[in-house]
Amino acid sequence: MSIKRLILLAFSLSLLVSCANKSMTRYEEIAQPLEKKGIDATIKKMKDEQDDLYGSNTEFLYYFDLGCLYHYKRDFKESAANFAKAEQIYEDLYTKSVTNEAAAIVTNDNTRPYRARPFELLLMYEYQILNYLAMMDVDGALVEVKRSQIAMNALYQKDQEKVNDNGLLRYLSAIVYELDGSTDDAAISYINAVKAYKEGKLQLPEEVLEFVAEGLRKADREGDLMTLGTQVPGITPKATSIREAGQEIIVIGYGGHSPILGELYMSGTFVSGGVMNLYYKDGETGERKSFTLVAPPVSGAGNGESFHIGFSLPEIRKLQNRVDHFEVSLDNAPRLRPEKVMAVDEELQQNMDDEKTTTITRTAIRVILRTIAAQKAKQAMKTDNILLNLITSLGTDVAQTQIEQADLRLGLFMPHSLYMTRIPVTTGQHKVVVTANGSNGETVEIFEFDKINVTKGQKVFLIVPSLR
Amino acid sequence: MSKLFKVCLFASLAFFIGCSDSGKKVTRIDTNSVTDLSGAWNDTDSRLVAEEMINDCLGRPWYDNMIQNKGGVVPTVVIGKVSNKSHEHINIETFIKDMERSLINSGRVDFVANAQERAELRTELASQAGNATADTQKQGGQEIGADLMLTGTITSIIDQEGGDQVVYYQVDLELTDIQSHRKVWIGDKKIKKFISKNGVKL
Repeated sequence: MSIKRLILLAFSLSLLVSCANKSMTRYEEIAQPLEKKGIDATIKKMKDEQDDLYGSNTEFLYYFDLGCLYHYKRDFKESAANFAKAEQIYEDLYTKSVTNEAAAIVTNDNTRPYRARPFELLLMYEYQILNYLAMMDVDGALVEVKRSQIAMNALYQKDQEKVNDNGLLRYLSAIVYELDGSTDDAAISYINAVKAYKEGKLQLPEEVLEFVAEGLRKADREGDLMTLGTQVPGITPKATSIREAGQEIIVIGYGGHSPILGELYMSGTFVSGGVMNLYYKDGETGERKSFTLVAPPVSGAGNGESFHIGFSLPEIRKLQNRVDHFEVSLDNAPRLRPEKVMAVDEELQQNMDDEKTTTITRTAIRVILRTIAAQKAKQAMKTDNILLNLITSLGTDVAQTQIEQADLRLGLFMPHSLYMTRIPVTTGQHKVVVTANGSNGETVEIFEFDKINVTKGQKVFLIVPSLR
Repeated sequence: MSKLFKVCLFASLAFFIGCSDSGKKVTRIDTNSVTDLSGAWNDTDSRLVAEEMINDCLGRPWYDNMIQNKGGVVPTVVIGKVSNKSHEHINIETFIKDMERSLINSGRVDFVANAQERAELRTELASQAGNATADTQKQGGQEIGADLMLTGTITSIIDQEGGDQVVYYQVDLELTDIQSHRKVWIGDKKIKKFISKNGVKL
């Protein structure tokens, strides 16, 4: 074999080695064992094996995942610091590297730095706002509210057609503005919360509507709610009681685990200027399916010449969640059921729908270019030895299959859904018991907060993670 | 492999090895120099705003009027809350310290510890009462009451389009007479920055 061929082979091998998909191993190595090993051990593993698990192209997710874990651990300072690093990486990635983009076209999208999905970014701001509120730093929470608005504006400037808003984020913003005494800004955020819920798939939660109505009534802007076609509740007992008393306990529940992304691999034969026959395994049933499409002629190939092609697309894989809802009991009083205020699975679905055309187009371009390149490589390596030709041909096809990987990168520790309830309390010491329940009402996990001291006008945030 | 090929290979390796240092270079620079890296609020903004605003504050007519009313005794100032209502996590402590330094160094006002520091000092005083020797013990009730309180806010407005961003900071400070609640001075300082990011790189 000539030096030229050896170099080509070595180059192909290096591509294979460098392109190992870390997303699946990451899930198996750290997300799945979280329940057994606990948060501290998971954080340690992440820190010890950052390069192996994340690599330099997925740095955003490394800090995002750490931010989530510290948040669940109620180490709000550390969580805020990690989210701030993730945000800085997101901002720095505004500048796209031509080299990376070119490499992604010949290999796969995992060679590009991960830029965060819009809903992950907005979720990060929600966690940040809650971090600062939990630390009783209203100024800090206000900064995050403003940063989230700048981020949302930038997302809308980039793409007006997609949904880049979030009802919960707007609602939390309104709470922060109220705490700061900025009633006009709070009113605008309340109105935007209603708009965002209407745009999204999750229905406007009743409790949120009550607080929105009360807040807008106070700001003399109830009419704005009616123009949005929302039925304004006649009475708002809970919201009024909290405004009068000043202090409250706010329970935020994180239930279940968000879906992950799996790989839908399709492979088959492409007959230039003929048909393309593709096979794939159905992710849900495991059944092998096939379909046939018309194939355009490939440049440089004769009509009827056939190629092996394979491509991967990301697909949502729902996980079995043991937590269906939460129940909250204050000082042994009858239990309250917090409402779902954000559905991460729906957000991911929306994002996948929004990105579908882009993903398929990028994949198609990549596969076509790589198929042409592979054909050229086969021709360049052609010898008089038939057996060697067969081996190089098979090797090129296998290499192509190995290089092709879908971008499955996604935050690993997001919940399936977020739940929230606000409870008016008197000043003094309180006991709160939160239970995470399954769909049949069975108790999955119990969280007890024994001695919560509430001072005049204080808002106490209780973070309850049950990502089971 | 030809000799030329080997030479090129070794030269390339030597080049890569030579370039593969830690990628970090540290250079000491003057603390008063103006540095802008990310475009965010930084030490230069904090220092310049504090110096300029305190100079402006102490150069206004209220100062002479107060000196006259107090029979030539310089007024005593305490710094109250400075709220951060901007879009950045600004280290307010640094800004307050910059203002404190400008106030003290001006020599035109007396300056007393803020509420948090006073609380710590009172704890120390209480501790001394039971533990320090009688001749070194400090007495309570000897604090100097401030005449004026300096409070303020930092706000910001952002305008952005693609990779271009204009950040406008406004720092508002107010000096209020603690006795009468009369505002004796209101000052502001504005900073405008244009930040541009490239969409692509090699």
